[in-house]
Amino acid sequence: MNSVYVLILGFIVAFLGYRVYAKYIDTKVMKADPKRATPATMYMDGVEFMPTSKNILFGYQFKSIAGAAPIIGPIIAIQWGWLPALIWILAGTFFIGWVHDYSSAMIAMRNDGASFGGLSHKLISPRARIILLSFVYFYLLLIAGAFGNVVVSTAIGLKAAPMAWLLLTIGGILAGQMIYRWKKDIILTTVVTVVIALFGIYLGTIAPSNTIIGDELANSRPLWAVVAFVFCYFAAVLPIWRFALPINYVASYIVFLGLLFGIIGIFVLHPDFTLPAYTDFTIKIGPLWPIMFVTIACGAISGWHSIVSSSGTARQLESEMDARPVCGGVMFVEMMLAVFALIIAGTIYASPAEYGAAIAKGPGAVFAAGVSKFLGVLGMPTDIGRAYGSVMMIVLAITIMQLVIRFMRIATSELLSDVSPIFKNAHVGTIIASILGITVVLTGWWQYLWVLFGGANQLMASLALMLITAYLMSEGKPYAWAFYPMIFMFVTTIAALLYTSFTLMQKVFSGAVKGEALIGNTMMGVIGFFLVIAALTLGFEGLKAFKRYRKLRLQPKPASA
Amino acid sequence: MTEKKKGGFFKAVKEFAYGVAAHDSARFALKTRASMEHLFILITMGDMLGVPILPPYYSLRLLPYVVPQISTWKRRMLREKDLTDALA
Repeated sequence: MNSVYVLILGFIVAFLGYRVYAKYIDTKVMKADPKRATPATMYMDGVEFMPTSKNILFGYQFKSIAGAAPIIGPIIAIQWGWLPALIWILAGTFFIGWVHDYSSAMIAMRNDGASFGGLSHKLISPRARIILLSFVYFYLLLIAGAFGNVVVSTAIGLKAAPMAWLLLTIGGILAGQMIYRWKKDIILTTVVTVVIALFGIYLGTIAPSNTIIGDELANSRPLWAVVAFVFCYFAAVLPIWRFALPINYVASYIVFLGLLFGIIGIFVLHPDFTLPAYTDFTIKIGPLWPIMFVTIACGAISGWHSIVSSSGTARQLESEMDARPVCGGVMFVEMMLAVFALIIAGTIYASPAEYGAAIAKGPGAVFAAGVSKFLGVLGMPTDIGRAYGSVMMIVLAITIMQLVIRFMRIATSELLSDVSPIFKNAHVGTIIASILGITVVLTGWWQYLWVLFGGANQLMASLALMLITAYLMSEGKPYAWAFYPMIFMFVTTIAALLYTSFTLMQKVFSGAVKGEALIGNTMMGVIGFFLVIAALTLGFEGLKAFKRYRKLRLQPKPASA
Repeated sequence: MTEKKKGGFFKAVKEFAYGVAAHDSARFALKTRASMEHLFILITMGDMLGVPILPPYYSLRLLPYVVPQISTWKRRMLREKDLTDALA
């Protein structure tokens, strides 16, 4: 099949989903009201609660949710064939993804901008809040591990990437200084720093890492894992304007330009899919159901989005009417990003064997090769295009990683400061998070790690859908459109986590793994089982809440009502 | 009409680019300023409650700047927060 047809199919699904289904739910079920005051207008404090233009929020939501996951998931999942992956991306977004993102924002807005902890306390039970928050720490650790792995494999697989990454970092730090310290013009700052980052990409091709530090170090996983987490350490402990934010600022231009020209390249080249539409139900990673449904997380549905929608965007929407374009609309854009990644993986290799050799080096290598091919159509030399793709992948992964490590630092302080005041120290919290992250990166097999991350992510999504269903039930609104996606996600995710954890622990107990892999398998297996227990307990709490709401609904209303 | 639409489109693109690249920075800058203000109000609030911390002369001079912020400060301090607040 030609890739342009797939892109067009994606646009049709996005159009129908956004203009028909989402509009129906927004106007007829949720009854979005332009006259209803939102938390942003009611509690405006100029900080967290602040009415903001929907266009700005569209960009903010896109930047916050579109990390590396919508790209990596489809690149891995194509091992089952591109057709099942495409169906899940399109159907998942149409029936579940946008429902989840949009409704998370709506329920937060209608509950005074409460975050998920507060919502689960109110709508489900006090215990639900405690479980949810302890679950979040392990969820973040898996994100740090999975994305750390992507950074490490990309830095090793593409030797031009480290230099490009270094220059991007220098450009970002300079941007922070120019904007906040030297008060320089924003356009001048942007031009200078983006040019430095682009020069870094070129420099990477003429000075690859192995020519500077030698082959042994350039191929060392521990070295790049430590580099990645040291980067995140600075992002977590330095003032956010000095390191994390300006680097993200410069990086956003690199990513945005790459995606824009990449999509133009697909239209110009319009290649056919060369990989098979369907391979087998069971492959090396596991069976299509449930594993593929957690391998592709963000491109179809992702729990991360519910956190951004509820704690971030919902407090800035100036009208309820903006929730659909901002939260629902961006989810459809992310779906297109996942379709773009699927096209890259499915069209650039002549045979499955060639793809197999590339994916063994990590998804970053596949993505960089695709970006290089499609940018090549517009005249960019292959090696520069490959370096461009690799730095895009590193940027997409490390942007989320640094946020996660910063957050784990805060979580460590919150959870353990009662045990000892030393955990309040920013450096201690960051070092603990970094050591845990490095351990996961160095000891776990990346495809299992990705599945576990996807499982935790999808579990977060099913918990968000549970909150949405509970809210709809409490309000006496039709809830089937959130309830059935929740059941599907809950069952699928628990099955995926159980399958993966069981496989990992089986290897541990049978003695099939030794040394580092033994630590990695045990750690990931235990985390997987912990997530399942947490999810089942939450599911039980949710069931009790649903029964309570049903009972309330069936009770006769007082005569005065 | 067309010009208006054109302006609207470019404004939307500009706002989108700002949202992607800089909105987060602005939010974090505001959060940093807010935490400074919290500290400041905490210092002056004690005095207002009758526990003198700053010399009364300065407290009285600062009073008009602090009073308008008390309601939002109170709301921010008393609002239930959890770990997910740090993320977005």
